[in-house]
Amino acid sequence: MSSALGYAIWALLGLATFLVGARSRAAGAAPARPALVLRRLATGPILRVLLVLGWMWVGWHLFAR
Amino acid sequence: MPAAEQQCRRHPVPKPSSAWALAAAGLAYALVAASTTAFTRSADFVTAVPIIALAVLVSLRWPLRTRPLRLDPAEAPHPWRAWVALFAAVVGWELADYAARGSRADHPTLSSMLDAVDRFSLLKAVVFFLWLYLGAAMVRRGGRRRGRGRPIPDTGPSPSPSTPTGSP
Repeated sequence: MSSALGYAIWALLGLATFLVGARSRAAGAAPARPALVLRRLATGPILRVLLVLGWMWVGWHLFAR
Repeated sequence: MPAAEQQCRRHPVPKPSSAWALAAAGLAYALVAASTTAFTRSADFVTAVPIIALAVLVSLRWPLRTRPLRLDPAEAPHPWRAWVALFAAVVGWELADYAARGSRADHPTLSSMLDAVDRFSLLKAVVFFLWLYLGAAMVRRGGRRRGRGRPIPDTGPSPSPSTPTGSP
């Protein structure tokens, strides 16, 4: 598989994220808005622990080690 | 407007002046962090400070017990489905790239792409700022309502209206 395909799929996933985000802003939209998704994650008893640990790991992985 | 959206909008929003001050401080910190190099003590330090700060803020501001946000099925039958599918696709592709044989250039992961971005200080500062912003948003969305000292009321059906949420 060439790198072009890999980057193309990442681009498609990025585009899909943008489209879901845009769709969530429409009236009567099926997907929840990103703020609600974050609130759902931050209020779940287990999900909020995973959210915090994930945020910490991402920062440490990207910027420190 | 759906009830959950109204709840979300009633969430405490910082005053514009303090929000701008916070954003400016975050941007300045991101610029400082972008000047560091990974695998050095300075990079460890500038990354550890927000991590420790988030741990402290979450401990102070998030209720000990909470109930997950529930949306009215009549208003939003499948509010999370698209996001869950998207998350699964991203994780699946990340793992497929990570496990694939060959060079990282042939199988780019999110980490490798962000490593490339981090070579440019300004772009690294933007990514660092977005990371800080996400952390601040997490603290706010999971926090108590201002002045009440208790969690945000759930929008879903309550098992007992007289039972206060979040109290031990």
